[in-house]
Amino acid sequence: MTTGNGQQRSGTAQVITRTSDRVRPLLEVQDIYAGYYVGQDVLKGVTIKVHEGEIVCVIGPNGAGKSTVFKAVYGIIPVRSGRVLCDGRDITNIPPQQALQTAGITIVPQLRSVFAQMTVHENLELGMFLSRDKDRIRERIEYVYDLFPRLKERSKQEAGTMSGGEQRMLEIGRSLMWEPRLVLMDEPSAGLAPIITKQIFEAIRRLNAEIGLTVLMIEQNARQGLEASDRGYVIEVGRQTYEGRAEELLADDNVRRAFLGG
Amino acid sequence: MSTFSQALINGIALGGMYLILVLGFSIIWGVMGVINLAHGEFVMVGAYLAWVANEWLGSDPFLVVLPVFFILAAFGFVLQRILVNRVIDRPHLVSLLVMFGVSIILQNAMKLIFSADFRRNDTVLDGAWSLSERVSIPVTKFMVLLVALAVLVALHQFLQRTRTGKSIRAAAQNREAARIVGIDINKVYAITFALCLGMTGVAGALISPILSVQPFQGPPLTLKAFAITAMSGLGSVKGALGGAMVLGIIEAMLALYVDKIGTNLAVVASFVILVAALVLRPQGLFGGLRPVDATAS
Ligand SMILES: Nc1ncnc2c1ncn2[C@@H]1O[C@H](COP(=O)(O)OP(=O)(O)O)[C@@H](O)[C@H]1O
Ligand SMILES: [Mg+2]
Repeated sequence: MTTGNGQQRSGTAQVITRTSDRVRPLLEVQDIYAGYYVGQDVLKGVTIKVHEGEIVCVIGPNGAGKSTVFKAVYGIIPVRSGRVLCDGRDITNIPPQQALQTAGITIVPQLRSVFAQMTVHENLELGMFLSRDKDRIRERIEYVYDLFPRLKERSKQEAGTMSGGEQRMLEIGRSLMWEPRLVLMDEPSAGLAPIITKQIFEAIRRLNAEIGLTVLMIEQNARQGLEASDRGYVIEVGRQTYEGRAEELLADDNVRRAFLGG
Repeated sequence: MSTFSQALINGIALGGMYLILVLGFSIIWGVMGVINLAHGEFVMVGAYLAWVANEWLGSDPFLVVLPVFFILAAFGFVLQRILVNRVIDRPHLVSLLVMFGVSIILQNAMKLIFSADFRRNDTVLDGAWSLSERVSIPVTKFMVLLVALAVLVALHQFLQRTRTGKSIRAAAQNREAARIVGIDINKVYAITFALCLGMTGVAGALISPILSVQPFQGPPLTLKAFAITAMSGLGSVKGALGGAMVLGIIEAMLALYVDKIGTNLAVVASFVILVAALVLRPQGLFGGLRPVDATAS
């Protein structure tokens, strides 16, 4: 149904304002409540939409529940109320295996997630753990190597011995192995030097432009995150408080004061 | 010189026994973060199975390793599903106590069934091959060494090459990441526990003609597995070989050069090694899957 990448859907008579109002979103988080302990919801009604081909950035203070949204979407913690839709299909509370297999969602978590004592090559292979098609796996590894030639150079190196930026690249590369429709990236710039951060955001933009990758990311680095994105959400104490186009948020006085350092 | 050569040969042969003894313990710890305090009891159960097979069917312990492997593996699979799985996410201490409970239960169950009498198992692979007048190779231990090395190689290949093996290593290195690439952690743990208990049962069968079989033989074996693992690094297959050989040779040398207190001193040696390894080099001498003091996840 979705036509993707900002193309218009034919046969729609209504006046078209902007992409986000018109096409069915790829991911739709509808008013979810979720948390780690029974009776203590960290998320108290979060709603987020991501359209195909978009980069969407979630910002907000530490402990607001941003990472928790990802965990809820990915089935790592249970959603107690509300729904998660992918392409209009209800995927609330599906386990991670199915988030991958049926919804085509992969995730780059906030904490370091490479398999430190395995080679770069093995790490990428594991990105397709759920597939038994060896030729396909080889093909995808070559594909990722084309996107990140640096990883190809390091193919036989143990992942844990690489620099932080390279490990991030590997994590992103691994998340692309499955040819995902949507990648959730939790603070892709966390703990990286400014110059590396810049490279990571460039890589995300490039993937978006070249292969139409859809990205929902969380960023502490609010300004750069929004600058690399199409739209943004602000989450505070378990609710989203602002949403809009990235440039709107960047220009908004309240958002600027609270999250962009004035 | 010839007494030294003999002690070295004895040490290496003993190291083979320790190698098969330690693999299951080390890998359960490295992959699941569970310190299996009932390890020695699973060895003991394997030893009884081999003894019973010999008493009733006249089977040589070397011929029953495969059936013993599968019996213990099935036992491990069930135990993991109904018991270990429930405590695995809790702090280390909980699984430690649960496995301690299992060890007490197994000791007393075996005592009820077989009494506390010491049993001896026999094998046709017995005696010694003389290399010279004063140097010989103990045949049984040498054969155990060969089997242990074969298991080591098979295990290494399994972990490195197969899809299941890779999922086990992945889960050991980063559980969260393993989960997000779609690895079923519970399944990995069940397979790991089954595999390791199977190997541990095999260790028992192989040890049965060397050490007397009795319900309370487990704890010193657990201690030795502990010491070797601390030396070799958690879940490190190659490290296990190094650690097992070091302990075997140290014990053999102690037996040679220190009179009369041989066996007791061997246990003390294990303790000294354990303490030294924990304090000085928690990642093990040979680099394991994770440091000894890593948390359960
Ligand atoms: N594994 C966990 N168990 C219990 N509480 C958690 C866990 N992870 C996060 N929390 C709590 O949930 C709240 C939101 O955390 P999180 O989603 O990580 O925030 P952030 O917006 O910084 O990503 C915090 O109060 C945090 O303490
Ligand atoms: Mg976070």
